[in-house]
Amino acid sequence: MKTTARRGAVSAGLVTVIVLLVLVLGLGGCVAGRYNALVSGQEATDQKFSQIDNQYKRRYDLIPQLVETVKGAANFEKEVLTGVTEARASVGKLQLPESPSSDPAALEQYLGAQKALGSALGRLMVTVERYPQLTATAGFRDLQVQIEGTENRIAVARDDYIAAVKDYNTTLRRFPANLVASAFGFERLPQLEAAQASEREVPTIDFGEQ
Amino acid sequence: MARALLPLLGLLVLALGPATVARGQVEVPANDGWVTDLAGMLSPAEERSLEALMESYKQGSTHEIALLTVPDLGGESVERFALEVARAWKIGSAETSNGALLLVSKGDRKIRIEVGKGLEGDLPDILAGRVIRNVITPAFKAGDFPGGLRKGVEAMHAAIGGDYGPIESSRGARRDRSVRGGGVAFFMLLIFLAFLSRARRMGGSGEGMGIWPWLWILSSTNSGRGSFHAGGGFGGSSSSGGFGGGGGFSGFGGGGGFSGGGASGGW
Repeated sequence: MKTTARRGAVSAGLVTVIVLLVLVLGLGGCVAGRYNALVSGQEATDQKFSQIDNQYKRRYDLIPQLVETVKGAANFEKEVLTGVTEARASVGKLQLPESPSSDPAALEQYLGAQKALGSALGRLMVTVERYPQLTATAGFRDLQVQIEGTENRIAVARDDYIAAVKDYNTTLRRFPANLVASAFGFERLPQLEAAQASEREVPTIDFGEQ
Repeated sequence: MARALLPLLGLLVLALGPATVARGQVEVPANDGWVTDLAGMLSPAEERSLEALMESYKQGSTHEIALLTVPDLGGESVERFALEVARAWKIGSAETSNGALLLVSKGDRKIRIEVGKGLEGDLPDILAGRVIRNVITPAFKAGDFPGGLRKGVEAMHAAIGGDYGPIESSRGARRDRSVRGGGVAFFMLLIFLAFLSRARRMGGSGEGMGIWPWLWILSSTNSGRGSFHAGGGFGGSSSSGGFGGGGGFSGFGGGGGFSGGGASGGW
């Protein structure tokens, strides 16, 4: 009789300990899980962000070759070429912040300059259409394919980043991840504006019908 | 009883029909092996031989070249459409992203070669552009769609520098697939026969008979267009012709690592 009561007390204590242990472990596991999800979400956005930067650099590197090729065409509109060269120069002066959230002003400036370069380049590619003797060359067509490919990669990288930021920000706002986020200082990431349809449209020139 | 079975069969037919998977704004068509010829630009025999070629590429140097033809892009840009399809189908292996997609929209007269990240070095935009400009477009302009598609795929393969794999292994894969397609066909045949005997017992009122053969024909047509995802025809009788698809398809690598590389063109 006595032993059973004691055994009952012991097992009750044991049960309490186990329940507490499970609670603590479960809570800790939950916090750790959310924390890790936020970290990997942040890393994914950083990686996608650097991808945008890579593609912008690729375009930046392509432009001198394009300008050289176009310059050769007889009496090519100078101001269009100067527009591209100047836009490229202003992009070259800017440094991209380490992380998209660290310096919003610098980020905005950088993206603005890239956008200006994009539209200057678009103007050039449209103007070039008036010079069939230039666009008919295989060399120019190769160059054009590269420019188009780069613009497309930029659009894809931007879309991917936008999707990653959306995922991350959604995770961040959800309960209970929002508690973990505020405890460990995770912040919302700035979202890029989705490309307008007109922007995404790669300036294409149809040589086939000429 | 026959009436109760009818919706069931309707569901079955629906399930076997061409399904579309929504992803973003682009309606990604259901995959049908190496070649998914929704615009009907290839004959079944041409599709089979092209698929055998693509399977041999995979067996040889592991890279995966897929072909999709569509009647139109539904207002989407060819670049975005190709990217969404290549990612959704997960072409190329996850480790090396060595996949590529040749997309042709017949209605828009547009061509796109989408190149996986791992192949961008071997098949850079310039080369992809040349394949479209110098190989595919001239053939298309001359009205030779099968020739243009085949030469285009061969040129992509040549640019990648891939090997041809042993034909035997791809044949083996094909036989397996045929058996699976045959299984579905056998199942449908069973249902059909079961109904037939029941209808006869009911005195052949003819009421149900009106629709059943139609359903049967409908499902046959579906299989003919490769909707069994395997092709090869019923019971593996691919030699009888008419039931396209086949060519052996060991599946995409499951990677889908595409970042917008490649080139576009038109004819």
